[in-house]
Amino acid sequence: MSTDHASTHVVTPWTALTPPPRVDPYVDLSEFEADGDLMVLNLGPQHPSTHGVFRIKLVLDGEVIVKAVGYPGYLHRGVEKLCEKLTFANITPILDKNDYLAPMTSEQCFNMALEKIAGVEVPRRGRWIRTLLAELQRIASHLIAIGTFAMDIGGAIGGGTNLFMWTFRERELILNAFEELTGSRFHYNTSCFGGQRHDLPAGWDLGVIKALDQIERRMVEYADFGTANPIFVNRCRGIGVLGRDLALELGLSGPLGRASGIDHDLRRDAPYHCYDELQINVPVLTAGDCEARYDIRVQEVRESIRLSRQLLAGVPEGPICSEKPNIGPTSVRVKGAPAYVAIEGPRGELGTFLIPTDKGTQPYRMKIRPPSLHAVAVVEHLLPGNNLSDAVAILGSLDPIMGEVDR
Amino acid sequence: MSPELEAEIAALLADPPADPPADPPADPLQVIAEGMIVPAAHHHALATLLKAHGYGLYVTVAASHWPQEKASRKEPNPPPERFEVATVLRNPTAPGAPAFWWSVHLAPAEAIDSIVDLFAGADWQEREQWDLVGVVFANHPNLKRLMLPEDWQGHPLRKDYAIDTPHAPWR
Amino acid sequence: MAVTQDDPQTDAVTPDAAPTDAAPTDAEAASFAEAQALASAVLGGVAAPTALDRDSRSYSNPLLDKVISVPGLDVAVATVERLLDWASSNSFFIFPMATSCCGIEFMAAAASRVDLDRMGAIIRPTPRQCDVMVVAGTITVKMAPRVRKLWDQMPEPKWCVAMGSCAISGDFYRDIYSVVPGVDTFIPVDVYVPGCPPNPEELMKGLKRLQVKIGMQRDGTWQRSGMPAEARPETKSLKLGGLLRIGDPDRAAGLSDAQRDASRSLGFDGAEHRGADEDHGNLFDPPESPPASQAAAAELEATHES
Repeated sequence: MSTDHASTHVVTPWTALTPPPRVDPYVDLSEFEADGDLMVLNLGPQHPSTHGVFRIKLVLDGEVIVKAVGYPGYLHRGVEKLCEKLTFANITPILDKNDYLAPMTSEQCFNMALEKIAGVEVPRRGRWIRTLLAELQRIASHLIAIGTFAMDIGGAIGGGTNLFMWTFRERELILNAFEELTGSRFHYNTSCFGGQRHDLPAGWDLGVIKALDQIERRMVEYADFGTANPIFVNRCRGIGVLGRDLALELGLSGPLGRASGIDHDLRRDAPYHCYDELQINVPVLTAGDCEARYDIRVQEVRESIRLSRQLLAGVPEGPICSEKPNIGPTSVRVKGAPAYVAIEGPRGELGTFLIPTDKGTQPYRMKIRPPSLHAVAVVEHLLPGNNLSDAVAILGSLDPIMGEVDR
Repeated sequence: MSPELEAEIAALLADPPADPPADPPADPLQVIAEGMIVPAAHHHALATLLKAHGYGLYVTVAASHWPQEKASRKEPNPPPERFEVATVLRNPTAPGAPAFWWSVHLAPAEAIDSIVDLFAGADWQEREQWDLVGVVFANHPNLKRLMLPEDWQGHPLRKDYAIDTPHAPWR
Repeated sequence: MAVTQDDPQTDAVTPDAAPTDAAPTDAEAASFAEAQALASAVLGGVAAPTALDRDSRSYSNPLLDKVISVPGLDVAVATVERLLDWASSNSFFIFPMATSCCGIEFMAAAASRVDLDRMGAIIRPTPRQCDVMVVAGTITVKMAPRVRKLWDQMPEPKWCVAMGSCAISGDFYRDIYSVVPGVDTFIPVDVYVPGCPPNPEELMKGLKRLQVKIGMQRDGTWQRSGMPAEARPETKSLKLGGLLRIGDPDRAAGLSDAQRDASRSLGFDGAEHRGADEDHGNLFDPPESPPASQAAAAELEATHES
């Protein structure tokens, strides 16, 4: 691994599709008869393709969607209010439950905010382990995104369930590694103020390398499922095209933004953890349709596998945590000015805006910047003009996590 | 942030707003830095300026409630109740992809300009802040509750809202 | 196979062998004698049939546990209800009420490694085809009416599994303004699967427990077995007193006036909700069983009005 290189990015040649004209999400339909010309259809809140509890009110003209109104909040658990009542040492396990497909990045982001305010530096080995775990988590999260998207467009009985079964099989390999490290399949609580709680056990890396080999071999099949499968291509290509400008305005970063041509990745552009020591190839597609959003995740999994191998090969020696172990609720004291810290989660920019109290044991106000909330806000702009059957495909390609949307 | 942009922001903030707020910040020409306090009248103009300079990725908005504290020996005249609204924008194309955030202080009945016309993503974010904190965003096209049911009473993230407020019949 | 109705108090089978009032013919007399022999054989000694594999080793067969063979005759008897219990406990149609993290573990349980299909469980996303609802995840105030509605749309008989500590008691979200402290405050829960989230294997264990419960409850052995009604795992509540679970005799007294009024306004009065191990009457009112005395009735009335 060298440190003196210019980070590069890869722009895959791809047909740039023209995004449809912007729609007005607040279009007034009162001139139409309620039951005559248009039909109102509620998709959700309990619908298998909404990936949780999310409701969209669709106004249909025949098969075509005229207006879409999203209603999140069916999983609003008041996490931000709860965190104001807890101490800093208590909060990390709560945040695991926010993005339950990528708890590792959720807890890292919060602890990085604490460290930024307190001016604490994490030792290199601790940062290195965080980097490694974040990349493994990205693989596990994208595997579910790929599998559930295939199930959404393939139906429960169709071929899509195959991919769902396969990707869950591969995800178990990652979860095994995490369980060996932290004792929990998810909700790890392994990141703490100042570093990591759990050190890598001896021989752990051998199992992970074996798992990565297996996943990489099978990713070939999953990529073929998309690009070499005419049914998949017909279902996804040119569907739900999201233009770059709209994606920027909506605050889409991560895979969704990169599928729409935003060449931006916080790991490369604003490195945190140990990403400044790695060479990161950021795949960027310009099509912005459902197929691009699938393809970008496949490419990111491959890139994460490559990074994980590199990271496993060179874990540095040293302490994993620069602070005393966080025992007891008031063991973490953080005082200072408010700060905003963001990291590149599997779904995009995951941020924490934190104002500590004067005593320094609790947050006065903590706002989590959830990438999924920005992702589901897209539906009001993206669904009108599409067929009803495409709504499920578009929603599946966004891969929202409702625990993070509603908090 | 480039020096040219900093100069433009300084020029913008030096302009007296059309209708000056009753309680202007002490020093409007402070250092252009993260977390700087901007008069509410300049909020929309600042977002426009930043968007024109490449800060086009809408990140987030975070409102917080600061009730008036009791007078103490340390602070005989505590500041009145206020709301703080922090807005974060990011420039994804500049080197380092810098994020910039500023804060607007509001009196309880005061409204802040919505920036939905600039950033479509601000729609749900501002609705969420209105829902949970109760900050009114002026000129928002659809300022309804987002997270809680529409018949909900109160704004939970305010400091005077009890965390275990019952809601019949479910809890 | 002779299939009869039986007396739930005794597990023995009494075939209906009473003669008709007309004089019996020879053929009828012969069959009557046979029936008498059958009856005496059944009442005399009951032998559970054993299943033998190819090498004549016996093994346990869940179907054979439900029937009683008659020695000397190639006949086995069982009750319709026992057969139905056996069938329904081995073919769960699961409605996944998956809201949050536990929903992902539920998906993992349905996926390749654990594979709920092994125990005959099929996941159907529509309530009208399902008989088991697995509530996996936090239920909020905004979602609870929908969960209740979906539960009401499921056909009888139906069972509910609360998976994970959020569904059981609300867990650490219990005291938050928007979270329902436990799904058993508005749905009768049959099996609790603790954990945050429970492993897929734990869910499997919970479903096996539900299988046993279904097999035992209908002929009364569940109630007589001395096993307590499913108890909600203890949760330390910070502030909220908490609603008592459905079926708890003290539940009516524990309801606040606001809760009782709101449940009426939501139309839950008089709705029939039959749970698995007891008749649950309606949701927020005391059980439907008639009061023991006039005084109790008056007291009940007073509770309603207050």
